[in-house]
Amino acid sequence: MAEADGGSARSVLPYLCEAELIKQGAEARVYRIRFLGKNAIVKERFPKRYRHPVLDEKLTRRRTAQEVRSILRCRKAGIAAPVVYFVDLGSNCIFLEEITDSITVREHVAAAQASGQSVESMHPLAEKMGRILAKMHDEDVIHGDLTTSNMLLKPDRSGDLELLLIDFGLSFVSALAEDKGVDLYVLEKAFLSTHPNTETLFQKLLQSYTAASKKAPAVIKKLDEVRLRGRKRSMVG
Amino acid sequence: MHLSNSLELFPEFVVTQLLFKDVKNCAELRKMAMEGKIAGALINPSVVLDPFQTLLAANKAVHVQKIGKMKTRSLYSEIIFNLSPTNNISEAFKRFGVSDSDNAVLIVLVHNKEEAYNKDDVLSKVDGQQIPADQMSTLSDLAKIKKLYKVAPQEEKCGNVLDAVICRMAAKDFV
Repeated sequence: MAEADGGSARSVLPYLCEAELIKQGAEARVYRIRFLGKNAIVKERFPKRYRHPVLDEKLTRRRTAQEVRSILRCRKAGIAAPVVYFVDLGSNCIFLEEITDSITVREHVAAAQASGQSVESMHPLAEKMGRILAKMHDEDVIHGDLTTSNMLLKPDRSGDLELLLIDFGLSFVSALAEDKGVDLYVLEKAFLSTHPNTETLFQKLLQSYTAASKKAPAVIKKLDEVRLRGRKRSMVG
Repeated sequence: MHLSNSLELFPEFVVTQLLFKDVKNCAELRKMAMEGKIAGALINPSVVLDPFQTLLAANKAVHVQKIGKMKTRSLYSEIIFNLSPTNNISEAFKRFGVSDSDNAVLIVLVHNKEEAYNKDDVLSKVDGQQIPADQMSTLSDLAKIKKLYKVAPQEEKCGNVLDAVICRMAAKDFV
């Protein structure tokens, strides 16, 4: 039964058998490997045996392709995201650049709070997040899973912190304010539940989002609607 | 001089890269490659930034050959095709393959781990000066590369040109 869920078993791919497994989620496994002389990350979307095989293959392939597309779209717009080295469509593996010396925004905020830093000290970070999300939404990329764990901070050459977006596994392209509003709503929920007493921080993020994007007013209006009804739209009537 | 890398995904294979400048017989070499007399991909080094770029192209070529999804006729033409950001085969050969008027060439060979590649065979055919393969960037034409791969200045904010090139090569099946 252990293998029936496809989740607990290790990869059957020879090059991943020996690899270091760093994360196991419901959707994919993430490994650290050496690839053509570089340190790389492999994201393997393993088959889900609880789904019909044809549907499973279709969904998995589409998500793999969409992840690559969204990363490229973001990078073209100057939004930092890991470089895609290689895609194995046979096994639905994406080979990505390993981001070294980085911490997640979640770790950063938690550490700052634990050491008693004021929320105000994190305002520049919130503003940076708002600006980058505005830029991403202006490119019509919807991340689909915005959390503070899916944002990395890495010191750049000049010593500033660069913000990188990762895990575009649930991303898609849409110009609808509704989708952008839901994207922000998901982040708001995740943000406020992982980091208590940071309401003003998220407010700052939204302020800078609004300042950075011409399309922001429609998105914020949708966000207010979504807050009242939740992520899913009412289909009654 | 040359650069050899094994492919982690296909441990039986090794990719070797040889770089030449002041080459006088590019037309002849190209003809030999088309007739199958040179078992290697002849690449125009001005459009290559780094050995990693060609290594990725070779890795992908071996991969698609294994799964039976090659778009071109041979493993070596597939390497050239993989360098291109588009799916237009003749354009890929024109831009990334060596041309008759070129005076430098990058030769990429894929061979088995056990058998050493026939170095002398390749060296005897090229009328030019071999230089270390890791000096590839000295022959690259950055402006041309940016134009070919359509790298906009804003993209360089989040990485170098090589990153931009690599992403396009990896993503070209999806755009």
